[in-house]
Amino acid sequence: MKLLMVSVGAGRYAVAADAVAKIMDPALDPGFRREEDADEAVHEGTRYPVVEIEPGTPGRGLLYLLLGRGENRALMPVDSAESIREVSGTDIAPLPSFIFAGARRPVRGIFSDGRTPRLLLDVDALL
Amino acid sequence: MSAATDGPLLAFEVGAVRAALPLRLVREVVDCPPIVPVPGSHPHVAGVTLSGGIAVPVYDLRRFPTFWEARSAAASMGRAGQPRHLIVVGYGEVLVALLGAQADLVDRLEPDLSEAAGEGAIRREFIRGMLKSGALSIALLDSERLFASLGVPADGFRSAREDEGEEDPAGR
Repeated sequence: MKLLMVSVGAGRYAVAADAVAKIMDPALDPGFRREEDADEAVHEGTRYPVVEIEPGTPGRGLLYLLLGRGENRALMPVDSAESIREVSGTDIAPLPSFIFAGARRPVRGIFSDGRTPRLLLDVDALL
Repeated sequence: MSAATDGPLLAFEVGAVRAALPLRLVREVVDCPPIVPVPGSHPHVAGVTLSGGIAVPVYDLRRFPTFWEARSAAASMGRAGQPRHLIVVGYGEVLVALLGAQADLVDRLEPDLSEAAGEGAIRREFIRGMLKSGALSIALLDSERLFASLGVPADGFRSAREDEGEEDPAGR
């Protein structure tokens, strides 16, 4: 599957590339507007919820990913979008559900990626 | 509190105390590999590491207040250097890892029959017995109670690769 590699703070993540409708740079996109720390943002006249991988510890939000399809969409701030790569499903290990503290499980897998493994985000859980 | 051992043990430091698990439960002891913190996980989950293509959750007992006697929790949890070892344990069909330091194989331990035995920092419910190695007291942990308390199901999760399931790993 094709995965978009992103980072937020020290965290290194991947998200299914076909779940990303758009990558936006607020500094370059006049149609994007988010008031500081608001939980919504406007892009080209449409209001979207803003979801963070780990609420309360946002990154710098230099870029925003528009996630999802149809009406089920959200914007996710990330610090960088590095590359799109093909990663085989056989290389992704699922995370055990019992490590999570609540129903919100934003991460579903982990795979080897250089010196430090990278986490695979669960788009459904984020939206 | 005392205990006879049923075979060799792996002793290790957790916080400021020395604890042990039966060696038969231990799959491997390795120098700490990269551990990836997981958003949304329990505070006592230090993260996840990959071992042979399997995601192994890593537990830091220093961050697990239930494990410690309230009166000694702050001292025990805070008085430790960086854990240098990862102790990978097979619990049922699950692989989990504990952070520890000074991991060492020990055998032929005597029960610690001193009055002070068990009056340590770890809560009694997590201790199967107190053992003595020279001048050192070692708490033999009750692995079933410990892992159940950490939320690890004995058979509720089979460590696996993602492609063995039917779900789409990307959650689409």
